[in-house]
Amino acid sequence: MSALAFLQVDGGAAVARSPFATPAAAAGAAIDVVDGWEVPVGFGDLAEERRAVQETVGFADRSSLGKLELQGTLGELLDGAALGGTVKRDDAVWCPVSAGRAIALCEAGATASLRTRLEETWDGSVLDVSATFAALTIAGPLARETFARFCALDLRDSATPVGAFRPGSVARTPGMVLREADDRWLMLFGAAYAEYVWTVVADAAGRLGGRPVGLGALDA
Amino acid sequence: MKRLPRQPSERIDRSKPVTFSFDGKPVSGYEGDTIASALMAGGRQVLSRSFKYHRPRGELCGCGQCANSLVTVDGFPGVRACGEPIRAGMRVEHQNAWPSLDFDVMRATDRVGGPFTPVGFYYKTFIRPRRMWPVYEKVLRSAAGLGKLPKRQEDREWVTEYRRRHCDVLVIGGGVAGLSAALRAAEAGADVVLVDDDVEPGGRLLVEGERDHARDLARRVADAGVEILTRAPALGYFDGLVPVWQGSTLHQIRAARHVTATGAIEQPLIFPDNDLPGVMLSGGARRLSSLYGVAPGTSAVVAGVGDSAIADALALHEAGISVAAVADLRLASADNGVARGGPLGGRLEAAGIRYLQGMTVVRAAGKTGVTRVALARVSPDGVAVPGTVEDLDCDLLAVSGGWVPASSLLLQAGARARLDAVTGRFLAADLPAGVHSAGAVAGDGLREAAELSGTIAGATAAASLGFGSDADVADQRERLTELGGGATSSDASSAPGRAAAATLDAPPPAYATDGKRGGKSFVDLDEDVTVKDVEYAAAEGFDSMELSKRYTTTTMGPSQGRFSQLAAARVLSKVNGAPLEEIGLTTARPPWVTVPMGALAGRPFEAGKRSPVHRRHRELRATVKWAGDWRRAYDYGDPEGEAVAVQTTAGVIDVSTLGKLIVRGPDAGELLDRLYPNRISNLAPGRIRYGVLLSDAGRITDDGTIGRLDEDTFYVTTTSGGAAAVEQWFSWWMATWDLDVQLTDVTQGLAAINLAGPQARTMLSGLTDLDVSNEGFKYLDAKQAMVADIQCLLLRIGFVGEVGYEIHCAAPHGEKLWDALAGAGARPFGLEPQRVLRLQKLHVIIGQDTDSESTPYGAAMPWIVKLDKDQDFIGRWALEHRDGDAPLEGALVGFTVNGGPVPTEGAVVLDGGEPAGQVTSARRSPKLGKTIGLAWVPNSLAKDGTPLAISDAGQRIDATVTTVPFYDPEGEVLRS
Repeated sequence: MSALAFLQVDGGAAVARSPFATPAAAAGAAIDVVDGWEVPVGFGDLAEERRAVQETVGFADRSSLGKLELQGTLGELLDGAALGGTVKRDDAVWCPVSAGRAIALCEAGATASLRTRLEETWDGSVLDVSATFAALTIAGPLARETFARFCALDLRDSATPVGAFRPGSVARTPGMVLREADDRWLMLFGAAYAEYVWTVVADAAGRLGGRPVGLGALDA
Repeated sequence: MKRLPRQPSERIDRSKPVTFSFDGKPVSGYEGDTIASALMAGGRQVLSRSFKYHRPRGELCGCGQCANSLVTVDGFPGVRACGEPIRAGMRVEHQNAWPSLDFDVMRATDRVGGPFTPVGFYYKTFIRPRRMWPVYEKVLRSAAGLGKLPKRQEDREWVTEYRRRHCDVLVIGGGVAGLSAALRAAEAGADVVLVDDDVEPGGRLLVEGERDHARDLARRVADAGVEILTRAPALGYFDGLVPVWQGSTLHQIRAARHVTATGAIEQPLIFPDNDLPGVMLSGGARRLSSLYGVAPGTSAVVAGVGDSAIADALALHEAGISVAAVADLRLASADNGVARGGPLGGRLEAAGIRYLQGMTVVRAAGKTGVTRVALARVSPDGVAVPGTVEDLDCDLLAVSGGWVPASSLLLQAGARARLDAVTGRFLAADLPAGVHSAGAVAGDGLREAAELSGTIAGATAAASLGFGSDADVADQRERLTELGGGATSSDASSAPGRAAAATLDAPPPAYATDGKRGGKSFVDLDEDVTVKDVEYAAAEGFDSMELSKRYTTTTMGPSQGRFSQLAAARVLSKVNGAPLEEIGLTTARPPWVTVPMGALAGRPFEAGKRSPVHRRHRELRATVKWAGDWRRAYDYGDPEGEAVAVQTTAGVIDVSTLGKLIVRGPDAGELLDRLYPNRISNLAPGRIRYGVLLSDAGRITDDGTIGRLDEDTFYVTTTSGGAAAVEQWFSWWMATWDLDVQLTDVTQGLAAINLAGPQARTMLSGLTDLDVSNEGFKYLDAKQAMVADIQCLLLRIGFVGEVGYEIHCAAPHGEKLWDALAGAGARPFGLEPQRVLRLQKLHVIIGQDTDSESTPYGAAMPWIVKLDKDQDFIGRWALEHRDGDAPLEGALVGFTVNGGPVPTEGAVVLDGGEPAGQVTSARRSPKLGKTIGLAWVPNSLAKDGTPLAISDAGQRIDATVTTVPFYDPEGEVLRS
């Protein structure tokens, strides 16, 4: 057994509970188990949730994403991605945080295999920090305006093009932002702040006509 | 005052009446009206009472910049009536007057209090007798101030949100210069934001007959992609960040380049009773008539120092207001746009307006509003030349003392105020890199010059960012110079042609007077500061601009010196006999525009951390309090019962808030050896050791446990509030020592639950296959195992003194682990009972029982310092060089109270009747049946059985020192 197995969410049979499960449930979410995680899967009206993503802004819990912290010589792993950029490879997004540190993001179900492969093939430190960071996707034409209410990062196209990764501050806490698509950003931050961040994002999005959405709405 | 016939540039919609109330009475206006324009159209001249003397005050600027029209709107005080649009149903009330605006008893301070309330009187009076101060304070507070906040907190809440905006170019000011700058920069490809404090951009174009051009220009700017924010004043300049207040939004704009096009501010003239309602700035009177179709008077006299006053007089006449005369201070015909055959002269003549060359106003008269003015020629020091005084009846005196560039934001950005020798105006020079100015603020106030300078500034700003080139604005630069512009360029003072081209105003005297007694000449209307006050202050030694400002409060009112700074400088110049450039100006501090405090506050959310088990604490109705930035369960309603349960059966406490670091790598042991005063690298895998972290000075900064998980991996815990600082501390030294170590803060990724008590082992054994016997799992062992189907790390440690297991697992499983442990029969206990239990063991809480001066020696932990270890460590030198055998810090000891109350934490320990230490922790122990605590005492008292005197808020408490734990002093329970 790895000396750090206790860090891993997938180390036992127990179902993991998303740090957003409580505030999402209070907002009317249906909570279901996906890839071993209890996550909010919808808020009762998929059409309305999709409309929010298409017309204003919707935010969805992505905390179940696998997140591996890599420390060491990153050159090969990052395939030339510079600080501020990312590379998509092997069903993961590789995000450099500093010259010697990066975060690899993958779907929850792929976390164990990616972690094992890295531990076996890469001469660096691999730490499963899936539980350390909560994650929200904020999507829609007003997503950037929503960010503007709680985040000072420059998320304009010129500064943060699609694929860019920005460590910084979100909602006055340390965090990171990945631009996943034109109108879609993934935000990572300390899991203990989840309830607070949910409140902040819900407030900001709500004032712009947005709302929480389930993962299904993001696929629209 | 009345509503004029429809005006070509008016912004009101006469087809849409709007009704609101003023002091409870209905008032009608039109959509587009301001509160002031609607009130004035209804005949009201007095809008407020002055700050100190409670003199009646009417509209001055007409554009939301002065303090003459402050009212309370829907309970919120300090709203400028001349800038606030009316809304149906809005409740407007006067402020600073009682019982009514038209009859204010505090006016007595003006009539009889003047001699007793000179400038600075509040520094000299209300001092003795000292015991009367609470009474004085109450009276002063009730008399002072500008409006009153609603009494109930819920009525005072202001909903504001922040909006961060990055852009390439921020243009501040939406006049012709700002619009031109924004257009040019946007057309070059820059991302541009333009902010303006009016309801629409256009600036003076809107007032001066070029509304269509202004709107066309604004449309082109919007079409070019510029984000235009209206009713959005810039509040200040903070190292490139410009906060912009727009209703319920505070924009925080960070731009790569700034173009300041904030225009110029028309100045009043100083003469006796220059504050009478009906005395207005001529530009303000024109604005009221042009934009709102309001006649601020029926018979006007205009007094000015340049062409703009004459243009305003003509505009008032054309709007339908009778203008009896125009007094123009200028004598020299070369400077005079009328006398030198310009179009203004002919138009005055055609309008039948008397033109009084070389004259100015030397007194206004009237009771609650101006009814008569005296005009005269004046000597250089402002006294009327005998035989030239002429009295004229009027109910509107429109004055213009020239224009001052609105350069405050530029000065806040780091520019320097420099007197332009050609125009006699203070301009902002030596602009910092990336900051540009355009239009009147740059000295380019004429319409064409403003447009040109805006275009140039926009092109330059954009080009410096790689958007287009500014090479093609060379022609505009040349033309601007021909027009006498470009005053802020480095060689402006000597630029040929500027003096010839500029339209010059006559510098007015510091103040003008007819030489008769009576009447107050106000330098600062906001603060009721008169010429006499400034002179009086100067005579007392406050004779520089900075000192005078602080003593007299000139420029410190709501209008931030817009209308008073130059006037005060002129008075000081006269008093000191020094030129104006020597007197200088002060920099208005942000906010440049009055803003409610609530607008700066943002949304009311506190960045609190919550444990993964927090939901369970809420369900158990825990008392939740802040502990650093965590929300923690202090107790579950019965702290004593919870403590007893831990010592009789078992309890669980959520300790997920502990800092948790993974330290890995070949040099991890060495790193920890260098950071901790005890040995870490010799720790066997699977074992734990307690450690304290020290500063370079040997003072305790944090503590926790270090567990070795394998050869290269350590698991370090810290105090709840210390994780971030410890990680930073480790990172700093890792970088300095260049060790092969990786460090990761996993605090928020792990839940941690402490199961403790006589039955803890039994309960745990039912949830895991791990051998939890004392032989299989010894005190200070660390083991991984499945607990309730959850992968966990178990640490056998015991902060509360009982057999204990600190169980760590991935945070998303924390709730289930808690449920399993509680389900096994362990009773939840909170922070409060934990503190009682650890006191029984004399376990120290860093930060509570220690301070920034505490060393391990003083804090009863000498055993942790291994001065004999090979490795140097942080703090070693300081500990080796302590101050002899009797260090000043004293000793941390336990104590028991010999009857009496529980001392307050912070209560004073006495030695020979003198303060000599303090209580750091004290609780009533239900198990021991007495009050126990920890206290810092002099070394001479740090012996078992020594009587201790504690003084707590005047009450003496007798206690006895103990240096060994109250409970299980040998640790047998803990290790069993």
